[in-house]
Amino acid sequence: MDLFVAAFGFGLVSMSVIAIAAVGFTMQFGITNMINLAYAEVMIASAYAAYAVNRMGISIWISMIGGALFGALFSFLLNRVLYAPFLRKGTSHIGMVIISLAAALMIANILLPIVGYFSVSYTQSPGPTIRFGAFVLTTSQVLIIGLAVLLMLLIHSLLSFTRLGKAMRATAANPTLARNCGIPTQRVVDLVWLITGALCGIAGTVAAMNSESFAVASGATYLITIIAAAVLGGAGQPYGAMIGAIIIGEMTELSAAAISPQFKEVVAFAILVLVMIFRPQGLLARRGAMAAAG
Amino acid sequence: MHSAARTPLRRLLLVTSIASVLLLAACGNGSSSSGNNTGTGPLLVGVIAPFTGADAGLGPAYYAACLPAALTINNNGGVLGHKVSCQQFDTRGEPADAVPAARQMVASHSNLMAVVGCTSDEASSVAPIIDASHIPMFCMTGQSEFNKTNLKYFHRLVPPDEFDAYAMVGNALYQNHWNKIALVFGNDIGSQAFVKPAKTAIEKLGGTVTISQAIALGQPSYRTEVAQMLATHPQVILTEALGQPPSDATYLAEVKQQNGGKVIPFIGTSATVDPQWFAAVKGAIGVDDLVNNYQAVDIGTTFSGPGYDEFLTQLNASASQFADAPKYKQRGATLHLYDGIIMTALAMTESNSIDPKVYNAKIRDVGNGVSGATVVHTFKEGADAVKNGKSVRFVGAGGETNFNQYNNSQQGYILVKVDASGNEITVATLSQEQTAKIIAAGGG
Repeated sequence: MDLFVAAFGFGLVSMSVIAIAAVGFTMQFGITNMINLAYAEVMIASAYAAYAVNRMGISIWISMIGGALFGALFSFLLNRVLYAPFLRKGTSHIGMVIISLAAALMIANILLPIVGYFSVSYTQSPGPTIRFGAFVLTTSQVLIIGLAVLLMLLIHSLLSFTRLGKAMRATAANPTLARNCGIPTQRVVDLVWLITGALCGIAGTVAAMNSESFAVASGATYLITIIAAAVLGGAGQPYGAMIGAIIIGEMTELSAAAISPQFKEVVAFAILVLVMIFRPQGLLARRGAMAAAG
Repeated sequence: MHSAARTPLRRLLLVTSIASVLLLAACGNGSSSSGNNTGTGPLLVGVIAPFTGADAGLGPAYYAACLPAALTINNNGGVLGHKVSCQQFDTRGEPADAVPAARQMVASHSNLMAVVGCTSDEASSVAPIIDASHIPMFCMTGQSEFNKTNLKYFHRLVPPDEFDAYAMVGNALYQNHWNKIALVFGNDIGSQAFVKPAKTAIEKLGGTVTISQAIALGQPSYRTEVAQMLATHPQVILTEALGQPPSDATYLAEVKQQNGGKVIPFIGTSATVDPQWFAAVKGAIGVDDLVNNYQAVDIGTTFSGPGYDEFLTQLNASASQFADAPKYKQRGATLHLYDGIIMTALAMTESNSIDPKVYNAKIRDVGNGVSGATVVHTFKEGADAVKNGKSVRFVGAGGETNFNQYNNSQQGYILVKVDASGNEITVATLSQEQTAKIIAAGGG
């Protein structure tokens, strides 16, 4: 029983990392209608940006700001320089997916000669271990959970209580109508790329902290989980992505305890398949944050 | 444009499209081909191994074997006047990707003089293809199916995986007297080959396997697996969980976190004696914990002598082509595959032929030496001796070769540690008697 309680606690850490990443990914899709398969590579590039700051002897928690800024700028430029021109030409959705896949491969292959093939680790202290019954978490892991909760609350506040959030929701619901109503949709889209890029940068840094060691190749692993959480919750729905992250994060850890570690991904993705069979639109597709502003 | 994918059904279609694209991307392979079909130009050594995927750390170690071999051959006139070059063929560590990579390699390159690499991940799939094309190969597989293989072009300079497993068990039981042992191996084919023989040997020799975990490689965390393992209170962990980054790094860091800051001693396979593995685990648990708690088994090599000196010189010179090459100066596999290529080149020189059907049989003669053969340590020495009408026996960077009738060569095991810079330090050698006892217990 203790193992399951411990696994549940570990699941909280996993879901926190997934949630930060998946919310950014799904917001990009929900508002800009762009399925950005280069998202995980931007995460890794941002993780390396934070690594560069960390190598100067600066705490990883402060270095994370560097990762977030890098992610924001990189994502903004990626959209402005690569995606937006294709979108303006009316490139089909599948065409854009392939372009983003090409972007992912380009980023990975540009990164390799710069950062090298060997994996790296941050200089970080996990801090004292916190034990609460069978829960065993390091201070660093508790801070990651706290950071995820804080970011989710900020995203909720942004979407629910700010003019920008309402503009984002309006743009997501019907960009043409939003533009005709005087909403500067291009500026909204730019801000979305900056905000989700920052989330992407934070997610990359946190994911690299969590796994203790990372390399350029780590991106592929992250992407699958991010897409799974986003699709499970309802593609384009930030709250759905949060729920998807909780399910994927907890199921991977609990199934490792209940069945076997080698089936942890199988169980998580079997649940995804089942949800897609019975609720193909995802868990929160009809009433998420991206519903039209009221 | 924005309204095009507004309905859930369309979104589902999009998601399906993404999945298809991802699948296509995953099914592709990264091998490259120049399509050069000349039989009279430069000769090619194909390095067929995982360069991407979970075992991506293996390919570079083998490529690092080929480059110095090509350099030393080319610096001394080439093989019968032919220059030698190296080319990577990426198997991604998956048979499904390895087969097309192997087929493309043999179909597109008629100038292949040898193939090196073919790890346990893909050897079963690619070795028959290479053999059917009559290309001598030096495989870094420990799979027991090759112990008595009928493939005539197959050569192996490393012992079977189960011997690696036996050596690890010997290290735990005889050298350190640890008898409560946890087995933590990746769930890939290569890593799983160690589990059964290790388990059998431990149990028959009075030890206890506290837990045997097959962990999925490349996971961002193994916290639950570590909690499970720690609950069994092992004295030592036997492990090989590679990947990029190596999963051992994440796993062992979490052992340290959950075990009150202490790392349990761990013994790695010979594949963990690797600069990438060292760098990743050092970063994850700290150099002191790595140096103090890590031991490994490795193929018996002395890292000295004229053969090794020449290898090291050319390996350092290879840095202009592959910057990480010098980091493989103490990787057993790198040394042995280098030797395999030199042996092949000398077999070609001695048989005065670039036809593999002619020189393949000669490789065993060059490795084992025929009666009255001159012992040589470098390609230059060998080529000069052949010019003078002598038969040669090549004793290279990795030491002596003793091929049996199945072209398997074994040299026994050493137990090693690493220093803070990652250099291998020999701790002990398993005695013949100990090795025989473990092999018998393991059913080998």
